[in-house]
Amino acid sequence: MNKVIISILGHDRPGIVAAVSRVLFEQNCNIENVSQTTLQFEFAGIFIVSMPADLSRQSLHQSLKEQMAPLGLEVHITPLKPIPAPVSLPECESYIITTKGPDRKGLVAGISEVIAKFEGNITNLQAVFKGGDDPGDNIMIYEIDVPAQIDQQALYQALRRRAKELKLEIDIQHRNIFEAIHRI
Amino acid sequence: MLTQREILSTLEMLKNENLDVRTVTLGVNLLDCASHDLDRLKDKIHTRISHLAHNLVSVCDQIGQKYGIPVVNKRIAVSPIAVVGASMSSSQLVDVARVLDAVAAEVNVDFIGGFTALVEKGVARGDHALIEAIPEALANTERVCASVNVASTKAGINMDAILLMGKAIKKAADLSAKADGIACAKLCVFANIPQDIPFMAGAYLGIGEADAVINVGVSGPGVVKNAIDRAFESDAKLDLGQISELIKKTAYKVTRVGELIGQEVANRLNIKFGVVDLSLAPTPNVGDSVGEIFQSLGLLSIGVPGTTAALALINDAVKKGGAFASSRVGGLSGAFIPVSEDLNISEAARKGHIGLEKLEAITAVCSVGLDMIALPGDTTEDTLAAIIADEMAIGVINNKTTATRLIPVPGKKAGDKAYFGGLLGQSTIIPVNNGRNLNPFVRHGGLIPAPIQSLTN
Repeated sequence: MNKVIISILGHDRPGIVAAVSRVLFEQNCNIENVSQTTLQFEFAGIFIVSMPADLSRQSLHQSLKEQMAPLGLEVHITPLKPIPAPVSLPECESYIITTKGPDRKGLVAGISEVIAKFEGNITNLQAVFKGGDDPGDNIMIYEIDVPAQIDQQALYQALRRRAKELKLEIDIQHRNIFEAIHRI
Repeated sequence: MLTQREILSTLEMLKNENLDVRTVTLGVNLLDCASHDLDRLKDKIHTRISHLAHNLVSVCDQIGQKYGIPVVNKRIAVSPIAVVGASMSSSQLVDVARVLDAVAAEVNVDFIGGFTALVEKGVARGDHALIEAIPEALANTERVCASVNVASTKAGINMDAILLMGKAIKKAADLSAKADGIACAKLCVFANIPQDIPFMAGAYLGIGEADAVINVGVSGPGVVKNAIDRAFESDAKLDLGQISELIKKTAYKVTRVGELIGQEVANRLNIKFGVVDLSLAPTPNVGDSVGEIFQSLGLLSIGVPGTTAALALINDAVKKGGAFASSRVGGLSGAFIPVSEDLNISEAARKGHIGLEKLEAITAVCSVGLDMIALPGDTTEDTLAAIIADEMAIGVINNKTTATRLIPVPGKKAGDKAYFGGLLGQSTIIPVNNGRNLNPFVRHGGLIPAPIQSLTN
């Protein structure tokens, strides 16, 4: 069975998921995973879908494009490549990095560069920049996985140094503290 | 995936509401250090404590940094010295206190507790020597804390021991007169003392405990106060049942922090984890006060009518939330009301909103007792003993822990200010009814028998 990744982008409005999933149902496709988010007023959705053998990717793309065009949505579709042989991932520790500070260009680039240097993988990033100098209006929250053998002290120090250069307040905490406080 | 709200609310608790782990306390069993030879005893105590505690502070700091939560105090509690040094004289026990002080300084902890005797039913020879040694031991050391259990629901109230404590407090105050009697700030008298308190000055390691244990004291009065303020801001019509629910949820979060940090410190040190003490422990800082919570609940100040009911609500909700958050709960577990250590309560004492009588009344519904109360310097040992006896009676009859930490400030009178410094804070000296006279009642001595509710078997 062929699998594809479909991404849908456009202004958010009621009925987008319903419209996409109706086309997929009519084309006899099976939705395996969906994730959607909205940033400001923009919708982004990713669907992993398995297609029946008699349906071509081009024809599914065509039907989706026709149905989504009236809603002002763009549709991209790409084949899902088979998963490579499983590699053993290093044991990781999860940290949450939160920054607040005046808006300027290069904040995400500056912090994510340090994370990458320590082989950290960003598993979730939420950032809101409303602009201006109010630190509360400009927040980045990174959830990262860092290999356990990485020097935690060095990571903390490097992040703090970079935050200082960028005039950001930074907090770095192991993820477990949030789990402990908020989850039963 | 964590939500933005979960992350930002945690940071708010840490940065603006003084959420921290108030103390990680390492309990060290010294029972097998006992020896008839003083030098050998001192040597064994020193070796045992320094071996177990040498990296306590650095491990607590590393874990505090990992989670972004400060572990404010690192402390040590040892087996009751009256038992460990039962064969020693009182002057030899002062020497032992000096060793405890020195080793505490070496491993960089701010307090070491356990200069302790358990005398609720009778005073043994070693207990007597220890009580006699207390004034000099506390006046000549910086970090040693003493506690004496003089009453229990099962044994009754040992009035002979209470009178000895009245004398010891008076002498300790005189020996530290230049520092407003600060030696007394390191001395607690208890009824029903728990074996696993992590908070000072009452911490000691109980006879029934293991070789070493990590106990944790959480805090968080600022977090509770802010949660109440926010709730009333968004809905002014909340009733007290809803407020209790809110405090419960907040106590849950605070306790989870303590448990997480305590478990990890214990794992790292390869020492058994003991308990989380669910207490609202204030410091003399704005925003870290138990007293402020009463004002958030609508009272003019702690001490005015309504205080006891409000404290009962707070204390119960803290326990309910905490007990759900951790299955290893112990110590004192309740709200502390140390007058000089809480800026707001100290201010209430200055303005006359709260006095000795109301403080005693509210200890019937909260955890500790008459804590860090500065009294006139001419308060007699009889009166001190009588105040202790009253407080012990509340604990014994209500089957709960109560304690006193009383400081008769030498040379000062009611209305004057006493300064203890640091976490111990400062306070206006409050008056004592009939304080300067003898009290024949306490001089009768003997044992006030255990109450009928002790017969539970």
